[in-house]
Amino acid sequence: MIVAEDLRRVYTMGRVEVRALGGVSLEVAKGEFVGIMGASGSGKSTLLHILGLLDRPDSGRVTIDGTDVLALSDHRRTLFRLNRLGYVFQDYALIGELTALENVYLTSLVRGASKKEYLDRSADILERVGLGDRMNHRQSELSGGEQQRVAIARALVNNPSILLADEPCANLDSQTSKSILDLFARLNEDLDQTIVMVSHEEWHKEYFCRVVTLQDGLIADVTECRKGPRPGGGE
Amino acid sequence: MLAGLRVSAFLAWKSIQRGSRGTLALTIMIIALIFVNLVFLPSIISGVVETFNTQSIDFDLGNLVIEPREGSQYIDGVGSLQKTVGRIPGITGTSPRIAAGVTYFYKGRNAASTLYGITPEDERSVTKIADSMTEGEFLSNGDTDAIVMGTTLAGTEGEEAGGLPSLEGVGVGDSVEVAYPNGEIRTYRVKGIYETQSFSVDTSAFITSREMSGVLGLQDQASIILVKTEVNGREEEYKTEILSYGVQEEVRTFQEKSGGFVDQAIQSFNIINAISTLVSLIIAIVVVFIVIFINTVNRRRQIGILKAIGIDQQIIINSYVLQVLFITTVGALVGIVLNAGVTTYLTAYPLVFPGGPVYPAVEASAILRSIASLFGVSVVAGYIPAWRIAREDILSAIRG
Ligand SMILES: Nc1ncnc2c1ncn2[C@@H]1O[C@H](COP(=O)(O)OP(=O)(O)O)[C@@H](O)[C@H]1O
Ligand SMILES: [Mg+2]
Repeated sequence: MIVAEDLRRVYTMGRVEVRALGGVSLEVAKGEFVGIMGASGSGKSTLLHILGLLDRPDSGRVTIDGTDVLALSDHRRTLFRLNRLGYVFQDYALIGELTALENVYLTSLVRGASKKEYLDRSADILERVGLGDRMNHRQSELSGGEQQRVAIARALVNNPSILLADEPCANLDSQTSKSILDLFARLNEDLDQTIVMVSHEEWHKEYFCRVVTLQDGLIADVTECRKGPRPGGGE
Repeated sequence: MLAGLRVSAFLAWKSIQRGSRGTLALTIMIIALIFVNLVFLPSIISGVVETFNTQSIDFDLGNLVIEPREGSQYIDGVGSLQKTVGRIPGITGTSPRIAAGVTYFYKGRNAASTLYGITPEDERSVTKIADSMTEGEFLSNGDTDAIVMGTTLAGTEGEEAGGLPSLEGVGVGDSVEVAYPNGEIRTYRVKGIYETQSFSVDTSAFITSREMSGVLGLQDQASIILVKTEVNGREEEYKTEILSYGVQEEVRTFQEKSGGFVDQAIQSFNIINAISTLVSLIIAIVVVFIVIFINTVNRRRQIGILKAIGIDQQIIINSYVLQVLFITTVGALVGIVLNAGVTTYLTAYPLVFPGGPVYPAVEASAILRSIASLFGVSVVAGYIPAWRIAREDILSAIRG
């Protein structure tokens, strides 16, 4: 689980100081599907970057599964991202020279998995995100929704304890967005996958267990949302 | 560590396989040409040395020379000295020569050069001049009024030889007057003309030592004795050997006899070579640096993503170094092929130097040195730009 305490982050651009986070504290329990919402510029990405170990706050504490991740060296943080976290970017961030399958198994390769192990596992995950017949296509041969599924498969391949996604549907039409959200919801329910997802679309709310709303770098509101079965789910 | 290398190799290979073919081919070609440049000049220098050595041994001096002891003009007791030296195992021939600076006269023209008195049979056991006749025949033991001369000295009708001694058109059968330093004048019939391509030999002439001894009043004497050994390159050992047989005269290897001439030329060549090598390697550094620099700058975002998903920067850097190693390896292989082409061509159509035709002599050590230096500079030139981009902050890299 994630415990973030009093995170502050100020960007300095020349003489202007921009307060991106002004003291945010947050806990995410194992198996939760948390949505971070708020207007553009409210600090959502900044928060997710810090939770994803891609950036460091100016002050505050972040503990993930009991590890004080801010105390880790850069090298250890890289290993932590590799072994514990899965990150999904708004614009997919696939490696264009690699096929869908290669994109997915790349990190397993780093972890030293055997060929059979990583091929089976990657194919399995691509199957699960609905890309069983697209595995050997490259980024340029995939639609936006398909690319985002590859990115999700890549984030999941090492069984991360937390999946972080920064506006994963921002570049997708609503139909495709819905299928991606359904996928997240299924992962959350079936595999008890902890997910922290940034979004600014109102209708995404119904998917989240809890919604944290940011405003000007501060938490403005926390709402427990979905209690019953997820929308459109159950079949 | 091993898993890391596996990932580096994987990324490098995909990048080579699926990256720009044109850039790859061009880079490999540039490395190949640099390789050729690195190997070519040393091979010509080795060729010059080789040519000088074989020409000296085959036409001018043999492997070793025996010269009069300090203060004497001639070696005495040539016959018995020849016997002593000839008995040494590995020595396959000795040829005593009498040398005189003479002036030749022909049809009102004159030329000054060295005339040698030789024993034809002995001379054949050391030099290959007798096999290099372009006209007529070489001397026989009994000849007294015959002379053979080099093609430059014989010359061509109506052509001055640019400062070299030339009689401008002497042919076989013509009569040539020779004025000796002691005032004697003799007329000889030209029996043959030879061409060795060593200019000092091609400007000289030969008569029998029987004839020359008569003119100069010598008895069993010689100015120099050429010594031929079974194998080349062991002159120093043979020199010690000859001296150990109690020879009192001066014994010198052909290198010593030619007196630093080649050494000086090689030194100058080596300076040129060092400059050329330096320039080539700088070009290699710049090319590899630019290629990897552009490559990594274009992939800044990709490098950021790789780091974001947990790939250590060293793996990323190594993937570029491996690409450089691939490019350099293929470049060197293409370079070896190109160089073989150039070498084959220049062996068929050799460069002509004053000392004779020069064939490129590609030495394995020169190839190894070129490969090693090329790899050395390429890896450094590839590592630096990759390292600079790979250590960049993840988020600024991803933002691009
Ligand atoms: N690299 C940066 N340099 C300067 N200011 C930044 C940078 N990243 C974000 N900001 C600023 O920080 C604030 C929060 O940004 P961000 O976390 O990206 O918001 P959101 O994701 O909610 O749109 C914004 O005002 C933004 O302009
Ligand atoms: Mg954002």
